[in-house]
Amino acid sequence: MAPDVGAIEFHNVTKRFDNGTEALREVNLRLDEGSMTFLTGHSGAGKSTFLKLLLRLDQPTRGQILVNGVNVVQLPDTALPSYRQHIGAVFQDHHLLGHRSVYDNVALPLRVAGMRERDVARRVRAAVARVGLLAKERLLPQHLSTGEQQRVGIARAVVNRPRILLADEPTGNLDPDLSRDIMHLFEQFQQVGTTVIIASHDRELIESLGKPIVELHQGTLRSAEPGPVHDDEATSEPQQKQ
Amino acid sequence: MSRNRNSDPFGDARRTGPRAWVERVARFVRDHRRVAQDSVGHVSHRLPTSLLVWVLIGIALALPGGLYLLQVNLAAIADQWQGRPGVSVYFRVGADADAAAALQRELTRDARVERVELVSADAALREFQAFAGVTDALAQLDRNPLPTSLKVLLVDGTAPAEFDLLAARIRAARGVDEVVIERTWLERLQAMTGFVRRLGFVLAALFAVGAVLVTATSVRLAIESRLEELKVMKLVGATDAYIRRPFLYFGLLYGLGGGVAAAMLISAVLLIVEPPLAALVGSYGTALTIEGFSMAFFGGLLLLGGALGVCGALLAARQRLADLEVV
Ligand SMILES: Nc1ncnc2c1ncn2[C@@H]1O[C@H](COP(=O)(O)OP(=O)(O)OP(=O)(O)O)[C@@H](O)[C@H]1O
Ligand SMILES: [Mg+2]
Repeated sequence: MAPDVGAIEFHNVTKRFDNGTEALREVNLRLDEGSMTFLTGHSGAGKSTFLKLLLRLDQPTRGQILVNGVNVVQLPDTALPSYRQHIGAVFQDHHLLGHRSVYDNVALPLRVAGMRERDVARRVRAAVARVGLLAKERLLPQHLSTGEQQRVGIARAVVNRPRILLADEPTGNLDPDLSRDIMHLFEQFQQVGTTVIIASHDRELIESLGKPIVELHQGTLRSAEPGPVHDDEATSEPQQKQ
Repeated sequence: MSRNRNSDPFGDARRTGPRAWVERVARFVRDHRRVAQDSVGHVSHRLPTSLLVWVLIGIALALPGGLYLLQVNLAAIADQWQGRPGVSVYFRVGADADAAAALQRELTRDARVERVELVSADAALREFQAFAGVTDALAQLDRNPLPTSLKVLLVDGTAPAEFDLLAARIRAARGVDEVVIERTWLERLQAMTGFVRRLGFVLAALFAVGAVLVTATSVRLAIESRLEELKVMKLVGATDAYIRRPFLYFGLLYGLGGGVAAAMLISAVLLIVEPPLAALVGSYGTALTIEGFSMAFFGGLLLLGGALGVCGALLAARQRLADLEVV
């Protein structure tokens, strides 16, 4: 693989929905393997859309999205499952299995990947313990608080040790201490080489972490260029990629 | 490797060779076991629905299955008949007794004839009296109303055309009144068997479609009730096969249960019709034996039920899962 290929590259990506809304407009961005980046911007700026395109839950109207040099826009449908198995995702609206226990929810990516039940148990316990829900592993999501449901989603995203971790407002329903702890968990994944992208409103929290920040404004990228991320807005300090 | 460049961002396809294959097979087996357990749980948790589906499929299978049994038994009876093809020759009442004896001698020399039995008018009368118990009525008659007859047994496998030639010859003989070829019965029976077989095929086709639709509908309902879950599974990278698998197992379980239900229905029907049927068959002097209701038949019902169930599930999955939108 050529050395200048980033883990994730957006080239002139535009997403226009059928109703005419342009959620992303000519977005160019490059994130290196093993980087951790925050995606911020006001509500409706296009953060979720950005992450959905990356997970191939939707297709851009124009442009290319490269992951390890492969244009995922053109991935055949048959290649999607194995592609998604390498990506851990925390969704803004959780997307949990309502009729399955916390344990089964977190086990899902491992079972989908065909892991042995013995190994599944070990990994699930570790992930559930990490988000502080071991005592509630037998409960159904509907019997959990919103913040707890969010943590189940986080455990499920990290349980299969993904190569790319996408999180859409992962701390939206968590108190500051818990939020910080979850960010620390994501950082641990970054340290072992996972590329992490976190969409978040919480400027205070993300600025305190000293990671690159990319800001979307009505679908346009304000603060990033291919390569190390810069912020040319007065709203925040220039960031250096680690 | 390079041919996967455009569809393989994480280099999965590079994992080839025997170890990767062993791993793949093990994963496949594991997954099927997991899904099978899940499906048994699902079906037994919804027992009322499952029972209904089983009975519906059971009825759909029992009708063609029952007709199949009927056809097999008719064919078996026809076979027994074919085993001893025969011609009955009746002489005119009061005809010369020598005529019968002469014909008997002549026929015995014929290569197509295995045995010829002469039943004299007196013997016939005695037999009739013994059988019918109408001695008094017959005693009033001043002469024997029954004819002398010959029972001609032909050798096995005599061609039907030979029957006609022989019958024509016999008919021309002295004193012969009537020649009855048992083949007419045989033909009737064979025609009936053919009819039942065709009817069976038509019904089997119709009811197979019915069974498939019943399972398809039930599996569709199961899919609908899990649609949200299926979307989540797609989000975390489940393949279409993985998503479809539990529903194929539902179809299989519904179909197998339907096969069992069909076997039970057929047994019940046999139990109900057996006494009168045994009496009927007994009046012909044979014991009732029902052919074909064997382990193989039972296995066939299960196999057929299972196959139809899986077909129904595939149909439902095709309709409902083909373009499952993830978000
Ligand atoms: N399926 C859709 N059809 C039409 N418009 C859509 C669709 N999904 C999103 N949009 C629009 O695209 C824009 C970007 O939406 P997106 O969900 O990406 O915003 P966001 O940055 O995640 O916002 P938030 O912080 O509130 O989650 C919004 O204006 C939204 O209304
Ligand atoms: Mg959003």
